[in-house]
Amino acid sequence: MHLTRDEEKVLAGEEGGGRQKAMELLVALGDIFGAERLIPVKSAQVSGASFKTIGDAGIQWLEAMSEGTRASVPSMVNPLGLDMRRWRSMGVSRDFHDKQARIVAAYKSMGLRPVYSCTPYLAGYRPRRGQHLAWAESSATVFANSYIGARTNREGGPSALASAIIGKSPEYGLHLDENRLPKVEVNLPSIPEGLVPLAGYLVGKTAGNRIPLITGQALVEDEHKSFGAAVAATGAVSMYVSAGTVGHRKASDIDHSMIEERVTISSRDLRRCAEELSGGDEWDLVAIGCPHSSTRELGHMAKRLKNRRPRKDCDVWFCTSRMVHSSCPQHVATLRRFGKVLCDTCMVVAPIEEMYERTATNSGKAMVYLPTLGRQKASFRTTDQLLEAISR
Amino acid sequence: MSFLGGVDSSNGVILDPECALIGESVRGRILSFPFGIGSTVGSYVMYQLKLNKVAPKAIINRSAEPIVATGAIMSEIPMVDDIDISLISTDDRVAVNAADGAIELLDVTERHVVTSILRNRGKILILKRSNKVGSYRGSWAGVSGFVEKNETYEEAARREIAEETGLGDVHLSGRSSARSFRDDDNVWTVHPYLFDVSSRTVTIDWEHDDCAWIAPGELKKYSTVPGFHAVIKNLLEQTNS
Repeated sequence: MHLTRDEEKVLAGEEGGGRQKAMELLVALGDIFGAERLIPVKSAQVSGASFKTIGDAGIQWLEAMSEGTRASVPSMVNPLGLDMRRWRSMGVSRDFHDKQARIVAAYKSMGLRPVYSCTPYLAGYRPRRGQHLAWAESSATVFANSYIGARTNREGGPSALASAIIGKSPEYGLHLDENRLPKVEVNLPSIPEGLVPLAGYLVGKTAGNRIPLITGQALVEDEHKSFGAAVAATGAVSMYVSAGTVGHRKASDIDHSMIEERVTISSRDLRRCAEELSGGDEWDLVAIGCPHSSTRELGHMAKRLKNRRPRKDCDVWFCTSRMVHSSCPQHVATLRRFGKVLCDTCMVVAPIEEMYERTATNSGKAMVYLPTLGRQKASFRTTDQLLEAISR
Repeated sequence: MSFLGGVDSSNGVILDPECALIGESVRGRILSFPFGIGSTVGSYVMYQLKLNKVAPKAIINRSAEPIVATGAIMSEIPMVDDIDISLISTDDRVAVNAADGAIELLDVTERHVVTSILRNRGKILILKRSNKVGSYRGSWAGVSGFVEKNETYEEAARREIAEETGLGDVHLSGRSSARSFRDDDNVWTVHPYLFDVSSRTVTIDWEHDDCAWIAPGELKKYSTVPGFHAVIKNLLEQTNS
């Protein structure tokens, strides 16, 4: 990789050990992926924030890195293992909280913004079309690439932190035009009510590591959020292409030259998938908000629940970002009658296995991680089915 | 190899049942494996090994990928990639120079050998190694021999042809890249050549008992020295294309 004189200086350690290590990481990854240079990024979003995923080694690494380094571009952090204000009522242990607090302190001291969310684009950091980013959260990466038309690879936690510190990322993969072309067309002629997340779930499986072109549907923004999260969870791609997005406004903007296969996922396929993921009918927890709920989604749910009463036969989590939470106090007040409205965390990265065994969710992404990382017996239900189940 | 779940971060013991070294510790040793797989959390496991003072001293990979490369930088473990790790055996002494991306096998000698395939009207010459030679007695091979000091590989190839077959009118038609393989304390690096010859009249010397002109397809009927099929395939493919 070709480095500028200033970059060489950082690599030689002239600006301290932390910046040197960050530069070493970017250069090593650039060399592995055949990048020719580093390019500036507008923002970074760092994963590896929950104590559950990075453990004691992660704490020590972040504490070591935080000595003498600062983020040089706006940088956000992925969800934590708990809500910083409501962790006691969540049922998280004091020990877990104290470890999590060290991670938060390390990120803060490096100047990362206290945006602990998988949806930074709903929390004041919405990129623009064509901007280069270094984002790590898979669902945010796929949203930024596919819906917004920004450009980011799916970074690892350490490489995203390195980009936050240096303000650059190696130029490879989804930063380059030639790697952003769809290779498989997936036609979705009709999606039954509430099953958009499962459409993403099946598209990810079909696509593998190929960028899919989605036809047959014009999804709205919130649907892109849940659809893309599932695509990135079951597939190895951080981007899809579809008309009607900021990235590709018109169908005629789309380059079909690399399409090698065409697949249809029917409404029957989606119903069968819902059946296969339905799990049991009894749950300890209903978890909504993967990815973090938008103001619009909280409003929709509040409206549905407004004139109903809570059933209280299991716990309920509505997960969102602090910014969305504070944007709609009335919705939050309604939802709080039915469960906890949590910020900074979610069912995927919280120590859910220490609290629950059976969890129901409306998220295609969470259906991938709840049984593995969360050791849950997981049940998929549509949003409306879940709202019905928790109220009367 | 996956560090997450594949290595016990408290003592460095390899847990992965797929790994030939299961039960051995990576602590203080040079760890050679093809490439990393699995979760990105593996980078943090490598850092934990370092904190627990049970990390490997260096890492050698056939090809680097992001998880191990990230972990190696976080943990300040010297790492080199693009190495033919099939040449390395467990318990070898290895010097790793991560700055130059090179390794040296301290107790292993590299020996250069030429092997030539002679071709005449579509048939190739194979020779059966006698009981008087030092290695691979009774196996079929090309015209082979050590490269001596002060001669080029091609000169060695021509000298061996003259000694072992008596043929003089030979025309160099192709060569393929050298291949190395490990055998005990030696690494044999074989330099393959293809020559067209005008005559099939061969006079073998003490190094061989027998010889035959065969079509390349017939080779599978013969018991040959290791890697001989691949050498012939490469040479013939290269000159045909």
